[in-house]
Amino acid sequence: MAECCFIHFSRGDVSHRVRASTLHAGESHTENVELLNPVNLALQCTWTGNQNKLPNITGFWRKDGDEVENSRVTVQLEGDEYELKRVFSIVSEESLGSYSCVFGSEAKIEFVLAAPQIGEVRDKPIVSYVGDSVVIACKMEETKPKPGSWNWYKANGTDKEQIFVVAEPLRYEIKNEERKTKLVVHNLTEADGGLYYCGAVYAISTTMGHVELKVISFQEPLKPFIAIVIEVIVLVAAILLYEKSQSKKNYTEGSNRETQGENNGPEGSSSTRQRKI
Amino acid sequence: MAATKRGHAPPDGGWGWAVVFGAFISIGFSYAFPKSLTIYFKEIQEYFTVSYSEIAWLSSVMLASMYAGGPVSSILVNRYGSRPVVMVGGLMVSAGMVLASFGRTIMHLYLCVGVIGGLGLALNLQPALTIIGTYFQVKRPMANGIAMAGSPVILFTLAPLNQFLFDSFGWRGSFLILGGIVLNCCVAGALMRPVNNNTRPKPKTEPPERNGAAAEEAAAASDTGEQDESESQGCLHKFIDVSLFKHRGFLIYLIGNVVMFFGFFAPVVFMAAYAKHQGIDEYSAAFLLSIFALVDMFMRPATGFIGNSKWVRPRIQYFFSFAVSFNGVCHLLCPLLPGYVGLVVYAVIFGLAFGMVCALLFEVLMDLVGAKRFSSAVGLVTIIECGPVLLGPPLSGALVDIFGEYKYMYYACGVFMLVPGIFFFIMHYFNYKKLDEEKRQNVPVDMRTCEEAVQLKMSQDSNTAHDTDG
Repeated sequence: MAECCFIHFSRGDVSHRVRASTLHAGESHTENVELLNPVNLALQCTWTGNQNKLPNITGFWRKDGDEVENSRVTVQLEGDEYELKRVFSIVSEESLGSYSCVFGSEAKIEFVLAAPQIGEVRDKPIVSYVGDSVVIACKMEETKPKPGSWNWYKANGTDKEQIFVVAEPLRYEIKNEERKTKLVVHNLTEADGGLYYCGAVYAISTTMGHVELKVISFQEPLKPFIAIVIEVIVLVAAILLYEKSQSKKNYTEGSNRETQGENNGPEGSSSTRQRKI
Repeated sequence: MAATKRGHAPPDGGWGWAVVFGAFISIGFSYAFPKSLTIYFKEIQEYFTVSYSEIAWLSSVMLASMYAGGPVSSILVNRYGSRPVVMVGGLMVSAGMVLASFGRTIMHLYLCVGVIGGLGLALNLQPALTIIGTYFQVKRPMANGIAMAGSPVILFTLAPLNQFLFDSFGWRGSFLILGGIVLNCCVAGALMRPVNNNTRPKPKTEPPERNGAAAEEAAAASDTGEQDESESQGCLHKFIDVSLFKHRGFLIYLIGNVVMFFGFFAPVVFMAAYAKHQGIDEYSAAFLLSIFALVDMFMRPATGFIGNSKWVRPRIQYFFSFAVSFNGVCHLLCPLLPGYVGLVVYAVIFGLAFGMVCALLFEVLMDLVGAKRFSSAVGLVTIIECGPVLLGPPLSGALVDIFGEYKYMYYACGVFMLVPGIFFFIMHYFNYKKLDEEKRQNVPVDMRTCEEAVQLKMSQDSNTAHDTDG
């Protein structure tokens, strides 16, 4: 069980924020912290200790698994709790990551510092056709803060190459709204397929979302279509032929019945006429 | 009575069940196809950069064409029979979808999918319903129930299929392949063999009125074809039987249905939205619709079976009135049920009610007007129902927007179904009384203006013929 409280106060142009988390029993806990701008962030951990309740224990901080230099301190038991607090200067993308406060060798709270993540990402590829155009969209949720701008990248091997509309204005179009961005690619070729990244630009860093594009030729859906058309033609022909063979059989029987019917005709009509009256 | 009217007894079996299967496919595509296309809307909306309401128009245009095409379909069926019309309908929808897959503007889609596709579906629906009436009399409610079950079954298969096609081929390729899939309506049409074809060769085209001897033969012979022709030429209304508007049963049906359709489809359309409004997650909300469709699927043939039983069949109009009222009560009580469990119970009961009404919807019309006039009747009914069907969901949506909650919409829908239900009960009580009176007076009840005039004329002609011979 862990509780957390959030206090925010700012002084001048540097805002101090304190993010606190409390750990009760010997467990670990993860907090997600969303940051937009460079900030001096104070992280505070409080631990209620274990059965022993030693008067002093060592506590230290870790960033991305590596121990932070000069962070090892001796923590005194105060009011039945141990407390670790440190101010970190978060200025750029490198400063973001996972920060953990560790008490002794048991208790640990992890703070994951990141820019707002793009939530709704389409996990299945978008399919489009050679010569056609396609619209790839990325959206930042309403609950998250809006990015300053958007960038688009195309994956090139393991690298990302930014797409600049000015370089190829006939092929690419980028339409940006506050929380939505659309990349339009015209005149698709098979080489245009692959992973595309949309980057939401915040002061602190750019968060990425990715969408996969698949470009296929028109022959792909044509094959199942022709298969189905052939199936339909075969079935219709079979049904009509079956019917023809059935009716030929009945025609010979029917013509015999007809001659008998005509003989009964006049008598039949008189009886029906009576019924009409 | 059926024997005298038609000249032969409907087979009530044999090839009839193959015809029911064909009707199952045609009816299924007609109702399920427009609903299943909604999966593609989001991507098409992005592709053409249009608003959500503009893309929703696609469904409306398709539905409107389908209903407005009803009379056209009836006229064609009256003239050419069911089979060619269904096959042409299947080809039309297929062509519409294939053309749409090459579309460059949203207008192109409205025309191809909406107008051509919708019309093609109309040419599937009416003939399928009509032909059941020619093949079945005793087991007709059962046959109707099974055929109407096509709608939920095909929707159930089309929904995941469409999702798969979309993921594999995008919307263009999917439209192309759907154009192929819908071509199976032509197979369904091939099954719809005209009911006399294998007992007698095609009758001669000479109209019996001009030839006295031939008129007698027509009266005696068991041939629907010649009688149909003489009637259609004897009546002023050659194409569609407008004298239906003087038919008591037809008018009751029409008035009740027009009111009913305002509240019929809206609860289905808004079910998932209502669930989400109550705080239920998207998947559970979608699951409600699946429960509803599953119950609906089994209820339709079950209703057909019940409708066929000897206790219900003679008074089947009361069964229909009960089904409609049941729907109304269901919607009035729905807002009172709490939580997800309450919604599941509602989905099940609504599925039962919806299935009952759908299974009986056309059976009762056949029961009222008879199989011969059914084709014209259903054409007239669908074009008049076009209004409430199209206006119902948007009006309900407006109710939700005005009041901010769904319960008033459900109350309104409940009232729109309960009132016609009670109306049906009362009116059919009087109608049955009158029918029984007329039966006692020995006047065949569903012979009205057209048939009586023609019979009279035929007997007059044969009289004159005999005079000249003698």
